[in-house]
Amino acid sequence: MFLIAILAAVVASFLGRRKAQAIGRASGGGGDPRSRMPALPGHYGAFLALCTGGPAFVMACIWPTISDTFVMRAVLASPVAKTLPAAEIDREAIIGEARGLADGTIEAAFNPASYELVKPITAAIQHFNLIGFILTLVLVLAGFAAGYLCIRRDFRARDRVETIVMVCLMAASLVALVTTFGIVASLLFETSLFFRQVPVTEFLFGTHWSPTTDIVPGQTNGFGAVPLFWGTVFIGAIIAMIIAIPIGVLTAIYLTQYARPTVRKWLKPTLEVLAGIPTVVYGYFAALTLGPAVREFALMLGMENPTSESALSAGLVMGVMIIPLISSMSDDSIAAVPASMRDGALALGATKSETVRKVLVPAALPGIVGGILLAVSRAIGETMIVVMAAGMAANLSANPFASVTTVTTQIVQLLTGDQEFDSAKTLSAFALGLVLFIVTLILNVIALSIVKRYREAYE
Amino acid sequence: MTEPASAIAIATNMERKPTDWSASSKMRQRLASRNRTEKMFQFTGLAAVVLAVFFLAFLLWSMLADGVHGLSWQFLTGTDSSDPETVGIWGALKGSLLTMAVTLGLSFPIGVLTALYLEEFAPRNMWTDIVEVSINNLAAVPSIIFGLLGLAVFLNFMHLPRSAPVVGGLTLALMTMPVIVIAGRNAIKSVPPSIRDAARGIGASPVQVVFHHVLPLALPGIMTGTIIGMARALGETAPLLMIGMRAFIPTPPSSFTEPATVLPVQIFLWSDEISQGFVEKTSAAIIVLLAVLMTMNSIAIILRNRFEQKW
Repeated sequence: MFLIAILAAVVASFLGRRKAQAIGRASGGGGDPRSRMPALPGHYGAFLALCTGGPAFVMACIWPTISDTFVMRAVLASPVAKTLPAAEIDREAIIGEARGLADGTIEAAFNPASYELVKPITAAIQHFNLIGFILTLVLVLAGFAAGYLCIRRDFRARDRVETIVMVCLMAASLVALVTTFGIVASLLFETSLFFRQVPVTEFLFGTHWSPTTDIVPGQTNGFGAVPLFWGTVFIGAIIAMIIAIPIGVLTAIYLTQYARPTVRKWLKPTLEVLAGIPTVVYGYFAALTLGPAVREFALMLGMENPTSESALSAGLVMGVMIIPLISSMSDDSIAAVPASMRDGALALGATKSETVRKVLVPAALPGIVGGILLAVSRAIGETMIVVMAAGMAANLSANPFASVTTVTTQIVQLLTGDQEFDSAKTLSAFALGLVLFIVTLILNVIALSIVKRYREAYE
Repeated sequence: MTEPASAIAIATNMERKPTDWSASSKMRQRLASRNRTEKMFQFTGLAAVVLAVFFLAFLLWSMLADGVHGLSWQFLTGTDSSDPETVGIWGALKGSLLTMAVTLGLSFPIGVLTALYLEEFAPRNMWTDIVEVSINNLAAVPSIIFGLLGLAVFLNFMHLPRSAPVVGGLTLALMTMPVIVIAGRNAIKSVPPSIRDAARGIGASPVQVVFHHVLPLALPGIMTGTIIGMARALGETAPLLMIGMRAFIPTPPSSFTEPATVLPVQIFLWSDEISQGFVEKTSAAIIVLLAVLMTMNSIAIILRNRFEQKW
């Protein structure tokens, strides 16, 4: 169907151009601007192509979903479907299998009843494919006819085409809005389902986390998320930042103030490689290399039974991952400090380090703080490192060698296990997601407003 | 006669005075300590840089050391299996390719059109502000939230096939689009207004100005942003775990709707295997992934350096 729409559009653009050229030649007055057509032949071609292909293309996009429901209805109405079990879940499982058989994506079905359904499904699919095909053809021809008749000497094809282009541009810019709305709506919806089963206060203030599928109303059910919040803050905002802030800021200072331009030219991209490494690689490194090393270290310190999945190893690696972010934000804000301030300090006889510590860094502080807030928001939303290296035990402990779990770890844990979707256990992942979304959003908004105000101050 | 003498006297005075001043032992001590601090500070800065670079080197070296023996033709062309001796990454690589095709096909046009609209046509009003704010926020939303969105909307609401590259591609496209929009807007902003004025002056309509002149000039910048965004999407794991792209795939997927896995998820799955043989294979897969990503990023840098125009 897509192919038809596109091919028809190509042919139509050619014909539209031809017709416009023909009209232009017939009217003859090539030299006189007033007798020329109001748009180039190409515009007429594009107009006709859009008329012909556009509706058919939209149709081809939405037809699969529409035909799906029709196919389902047809199958359920067929005599074979009468024998299916009444429970919706069972029925859908069988129909799903039968579809797979009809498509050829699965070779053998689990339930023998699905073999019976293959025939009606294939028939229905073919039936509705044919209808879709005919509908597309009709749309193509109708669009072509309407568009072709429109093309006359005084037809302003350029304006029409540009209106359509503008509509497309606006539609594209709405995608971001729809996405944001989709995120908020889906998180809120699933979370509201969750809070129907588990009280909000238990989730936000409870200190015991061991989610189960069976809920006892009026009792605590192991949905207290405080240990997760603590684990997230401990790894992302404390350990990782202890690593990343000094190294990131010092790196930025060294690269902007001390390093020679050639050194800087090479070191900067090298450090940015750190930001480009996928988090799963960091996670693997933390789990395989750093985790055991941290455990050895804990043993050396005389701890009993340290685990190789510790907050420290995850936090360390996360800190390294964050360094480029803090470094580049600090770099930008130090570079934004007016040169006159720096020159003034140097002229008064301050050494370079005194200038940096007493003039540049205080002046750039809002920008640096903004960068740190962005980094914290990145760190607490980070998933793979903590999933692979921080462990699953929901401990409320400030011991960096203990295993802690985080919000993101638990989201992954809850949603990759069982497939049953409506249980409180899976729904709680969405509540965690909502908390994460809100917190990162607040951090980002604050960070961006600080950075923005700071930039304005020096402009 | 006296004049030169006094001049000399003044000159020696001027020479002597600072010498005197710095010769006082207190001042000398102070200067020395200030110089020491200066040295220390510079050394700390250098140490921070060296530490970061050292960590990077160590990480890359440990992956190379573990995985370089796992690289072989069979590894590159094989698919997942339960035996570490025969596993390969072609299945996951193909899943990645299919997913990236969907991501690129959706996020590039939408991202470019959005950037053009916001930069060239959008009126200054509340709606535009809302769109801008939502794009900036989407760029900073944790990737796992996009996974939750994909799970709730694409799988549970729209009933798209689970574990399929098309769903993964859709989810990653939503994540990549803001990156492309932001890069695209910067690239478009850097095209000087004189180009637009000239085109307008000879009778081009606003749409013609943008598509014939502004867009081609901004394209290298947009491409750079797109490649960086795609590299990020290619290394992404968490949102794909959410939509179930963690299946065991013994045969490479041949269409957009078949169950598939991608390279980073494959690395994650292998890292969970208990068998020792998988350590080598996981590191080998990481080497392949890093090689692809670094190639993409170098292309982006080359593109930027070669085509970037200073107006």
